[in-house]
Amino acid sequence: MERLDFTLNGKAVAVTGAARLTLLDVLRDRLELNGAKYGCGLGQCGACTVLVDGAPARSCVMRAARVQGRAVTTLEGLAAPDSGTLHPVQQGFIDGQGAQCGYCLNGMVMTAVALLARNPDPTEAEIRQALRDNLCRCGTHLEIVASVRHAARRMAEAADV
Amino acid sequence: MSEPLPGLLSIFDDRPEGRISFLQIDETGRVTARNGHVDLGTGIETALAQIVAEELDLPLSDVRIVLGDTASTPNQGPTIASETIQVAAHPLRLAAAQARQALAGLAARQFNAPAAEITTEGGAVHWRDASIHYGPLIAGTQLTMRLDLEVPVKDPADYRIVGRPMGRVDLPAKLTGAFTYIHDLRLDGMLHGHVLRPPYAGRDSGDFVGRSLIGVDRASVQGMPGLVDIVVEGDFVGVVAETPQQAQAIAEALRVDWRMPPPLPPMEPLAQTIKDQPSTPRLLDSTGDFPRGLAECHSTLARTYLWPFHEHGSIGPSCGVADWQDGAPVVWSGTQNPHMLQGDLALLVGLAPEQLEVRRLQAAGCYGRNCADDVCGDALLLSRAVRRPVRVQLTRAQEHLWEPKGAAQLMEVQGGIGLSGDLHAYGFDSWYPSNRGPNLALLLTGRISPEPHHAMMGDRTIVPPYRVPHKRITCHDLAPIVRAAWMRGVSALPNTFAHESFIDELAHEAGEDPVAFRLRHLDDPRQADLVRRTADEAGWQSGRGPRLRRQGRMAYGQGFAYATYVHGAFPGTAAASAAWVCDVAVDTETGEVTLTRVFVGQDQGLVINPDGVRAQIHGNVIQTASRTLTEEVTFDAIAPVAKSWASYPIQSFAQVPEIRTMLVERPGDPALGVGESAAVPAAAAIANAIFDATGIRLREAPFTPEKLRAALAANVAAALPAPPRPVRKRRWRGIAALGGALTAGALALPLHSAIPLSRAPSPSQFTSETLARGAEVFGAANCAGCHTAQSGAPSAGGRPMETPFGTVYSTNLTPDPQTGLGQWSYAAFERAMRHGISRDGKNLYPAFPYTNFARIDDGDMQALYAYLQTLPPVRAETPRAAMLTPVNLRPVNAVWNAMFHDPAPLTPDPAQSEAWNRGRYLVKAAGHCSACHTPRNALGAEDASRAFAGAMVGTDWAPPLAGPEAGARGWDQPAFAAYLRDGHAPGIASASGKMAEIVASLGAVPDADIQAMATYLASQVTDAPPLPRIEAEVPPGPTSRLFEAACASCHLPGLSGAETAAQVPLTMSSAIRAPQPDAVIGVIRDGIEAPLSLPLRDMPAFGAELDQARIAELANYLRARFAPDLEAWR
Ligand code: FES
Ligand code: FES
Repeated sequence: MERLDFTLNGKAVAVTGAARLTLLDVLRDRLELNGAKYGCGLGQCGACTVLVDGAPARSCVMRAARVQGRAVTTLEGLAAPDSGTLHPVQQGFIDGQGAQCGYCLNGMVMTAVALLARNPDPTEAEIRQALRDNLCRCGTHLEIVASVRHAARRMAEAADV
Repeated sequence: MSEPLPGLLSIFDDRPEGRISFLQIDETGRVTARNGHVDLGTGIETALAQIVAEELDLPLSDVRIVLGDTASTPNQGPTIASETIQVAAHPLRLAAAQARQALAGLAARQFNAPAAEITTEGGAVHWRDASIHYGPLIAGTQLTMRLDLEVPVKDPADYRIVGRPMGRVDLPAKLTGAFTYIHDLRLDGMLHGHVLRPPYAGRDSGDFVGRSLIGVDRASVQGMPGLVDIVVEGDFVGVVAETPQQAQAIAEALRVDWRMPPPLPPMEPLAQTIKDQPSTPRLLDSTGDFPRGLAECHSTLARTYLWPFHEHGSIGPSCGVADWQDGAPVVWSGTQNPHMLQGDLALLVGLAPEQLEVRRLQAAGCYGRNCADDVCGDALLLSRAVRRPVRVQLTRAQEHLWEPKGAAQLMEVQGGIGLSGDLHAYGFDSWYPSNRGPNLALLLTGRISPEPHHAMMGDRTIVPPYRVPHKRITCHDLAPIVRAAWMRGVSALPNTFAHESFIDELAHEAGEDPVAFRLRHLDDPRQADLVRRTADEAGWQSGRGPRLRRQGRMAYGQGFAYATYVHGAFPGTAAASAAWVCDVAVDTETGEVTLTRVFVGQDQGLVINPDGVRAQIHGNVIQTASRTLTEEVTFDAIAPVAKSWASYPIQSFAQVPEIRTMLVERPGDPALGVGESAAVPAAAAIANAIFDATGIRLREAPFTPEKLRAALAANVAAALPAPPRPVRKRRWRGIAALGGALTAGALALPLHSAIPLSRAPSPSQFTSETLARGAEVFGAANCAGCHTAQSGAPSAGGRPMETPFGTVYSTNLTPDPQTGLGQWSYAAFERAMRHGISRDGKNLYPAFPYTNFARIDDGDMQALYAYLQTLPPVRAETPRAAMLTPVNLRPVNAVWNAMFHDPAPLTPDPAQSEAWNRGRYLVKAAGHCSACHTPRNALGAEDASRAFAGAMVGTDWAPPLAGPEAGARGWDQPAFAAYLRDGHAPGIASASGKMAEIVASLGAVPDADIQAMATYLASQVTDAPPLPRIEAEVPPGPTSRLFEAACASCHLPGLSGAETAAQVPLTMSSAIRAPQPDAVIGVIRDGIEAPLSLPLRDMPAFGAELDQARIAELANYLRARFAPDLEAWR
């Protein structure tokens, strides 16, 4: 049976029999990670977003085989592995209370991580633009934008010390 | 440290459903509090914890709230109408106060002090200098007390926790992926179910419901991996398998026959449809004498307002888990109403409700009756059948199609102003086709009758808040037309849309400022205060509308609306009141309405968690603005259309307005529900603002750009752009070109002599160099591409080729002696390759590119032959061709060859480099690039005068590789080389479909040869100015919204660089620039699954989401927007 090897949140993992599965299926159903969510399966909502080699990816429209040999980061992999200290973006979402039901949260957080890696001090318009393809039905948009700003501030502070 | 002695303080009550413990404190000092309502994503858990922590004077972190478990929480009815804080929290508050009193009593005994002197703070009791924490105080004690409804509670003036902003208690776990939503529950031994729904999607009444199944062909999925069971009962069909993917694959493969349901009544015009349904009038308010009052008015208006069907649109499709447990089932659910679900499920499986337990886990945000309950019925039926836990996850399409829709509503208002200038008569009729959404499993199994029933829910906020001497308010109750139930704001939102629009219309008639007009008719001082303060704080610009402020093409306006959300059976209970002032900008050319700013004033009495209240206001504003401006469920003859966000777009960050809130502080008043109130005035406020900006009164939501454009155009009597003409079906023109494949069976008669069978040489006779060279030729020619059937063995043939004369199939290239090339001599093989004549003498279909292959040199030809003989032999008969008419091509073929076929080898051009000559050979011989990229004449021969000018191949487009067109795209040697190697020339093109397979096959070809091909191809390119790469502005409408919702996330992503985004901009898409739409249509329908060996990306298929007409509209839209320099497709 063909074997898929990749790095997941810093650790090597191997999965067999995943040739026809999406990355989302592998993460949720084979590796039992809950961070990435199923929302539409069509790349429309962003609930399933993960990072592949640091770039955001909609794991519901990506065949798992495409991450062979690559590094995947999920929501579970953001906090410091030893101390459990939250990633500044996670902290920012607590500061800004960026969730109602929180089902969209994974996509918002992972996209924000990708955005801030590229643009550490985005304007409100840039944040809205970057998150434009992530749907939130609860209408938490303003809190989410505020959360990303908090995250940017925290990252800047951490960089200063 | 020794373990503390166990201890418990418990406050209970005996209720019809049994003894319920509301609150317990144990020896650790932790509190567990229970409430029968659930957290729908609104943070109610946090607010309840605040209430308990406040009364008990302990830190929020010591409180655990259990919500909605039928076995342990009270039945407090459904979590609807925003009444958790208003009603359901009350016993919890009392229980906490009582517990505090009991703790003080314990402490008084311990300290030997008067109880009145005991204070509590920080989870401890205090007396003078002594203090002791609740835990140690309780250790060793068992204290059980009945809930005392008279217990004194804290004075709100002393609140320290309630009224303060508090972070959500569930947020940290949600941020790390540690939180367990219903979707995340995994039980030992859990199996997975996938349901197959009948064709009457989204309908719940009519005698076909539960009686449409003809049969299930279990044999059709026999032996599929993972299959555990197929469960059929009435119209319920479900598959159970080991994994979710297996369950889905089996369900999709399962052959099920259904009777087709009768069509829906025509759903347009919707107002007529609603009014034509049988309904029962209910007169709710008949103050004064309405007919007389109306007759006395000096000016009257009669208006009709219409609200469409909406999707709740939870971001996570519903999920449920059931464990049969030998007849004492437990069901885990994201339900809004655990106790009602318990009753429904018990009925479904013939148990008494108390034999069945429902445990509530959080789901994706819930805004009313969605599929959360239905999926639990599915899971329970499946678990009962297999006696193991079963999880069912609905698909996005199942949720969209089947969820009970937010009901449409029709409102007719008649009223007028009396001689005094006051509102004098007001008649209001409302039709709300909905019920409570009976559980789908009960309907599908026939457990309950599918007779149409109505619920009397159209009466929320049906009486306007204004003083009117003569009123006649009637609610017409009617059963749903399609499955429809409550959604945020229930009927109060549409009713208020009508009331508050109509009041604005009357104010206009009266020539008054709309806010002043309202205030003149508001008697309740608290309500008037809210209206006044909201207008003041928001900066309401008073005056008579419409003010028609214009700046260029933009028109600006401001609107006001206000309502008290009244819920529960008429006359109902008031929740919070909310007032809106909103600003809009209207683009008078496109008709787009931008909601720029919303100010909400809200009076909710005591505020428990201001952050939570503000979040609720924001959510209500954003969601309801989206419902008002764009959302609408449409229907085909049978069922709702939308199966994903593509056809039902919702709000995005791009549309979110600036929102300001003003919470009126009334700490002395009871807390009122805030879950829906701010939604209720939304539609009217926006309609009023649009009127102020443009003078146009929109009375039918949604207020889409196309609707407003039409109204604006009618206003200036200008003609509208003609609707796009329907796409005509493409006809065959001449003989369509095929890719290159040996296709058998084109002819009835042998034309040439057969070459006798002869055992092919054994592979050991060939040198490894020969075989390696053969593999390269095989790769360069992509033989496997055409000669491998979908999910067939490699190179064993059987791939269907559509031709104008019928379908032919590629042949088996493996050395199987009976069905493949195992008994072909080299001579037979070479004749086929160079002359298109099969071993048995029959002609191969003429489009087989032997005109290219003839140029393969002898060495390569022999190597290819050798290589083919080393493939693993596969026995695979070539399917018989299905020709439309008997075709005798003998004379045609002879003439054709004479005219068009030049089997002479290529002679090297000494003026060109070695690489160029090598490249030309590869491109023209084995590569047979021209077979697709060169247009053909009417007889199907390549038109040499237009070599590589681009051609349609079936429904694919093979774009130009030569001339100025290729130059304009930016093709040069490095670009060709990158493309042929990786399938991707950055910024120019990305291979998909057939071409991606070819590039994958070229993986066998060495770099030097790829470079050589690129060198030759680049020499055919003529310099030209680059493609314009411009995007046109296309008037917004359903298709632009579809594009934004379904395509933009990958094709115009807000954050570039995504790993799943398209690699080439649509302005460069060759398919969009093709002469016919077929290629674009094909890719939208079928998606892209690119070879894994190449760094390419996939695209999901939309064939199951969008019907042909929508795909064709989308293709036309893409052409108009991304290739504006080209003509529209005809
Ligand atoms: S689930 Fe992947 S984008 Fe919606
Ligand atoms: S918080 Fe519920 S979908 Fe975003």
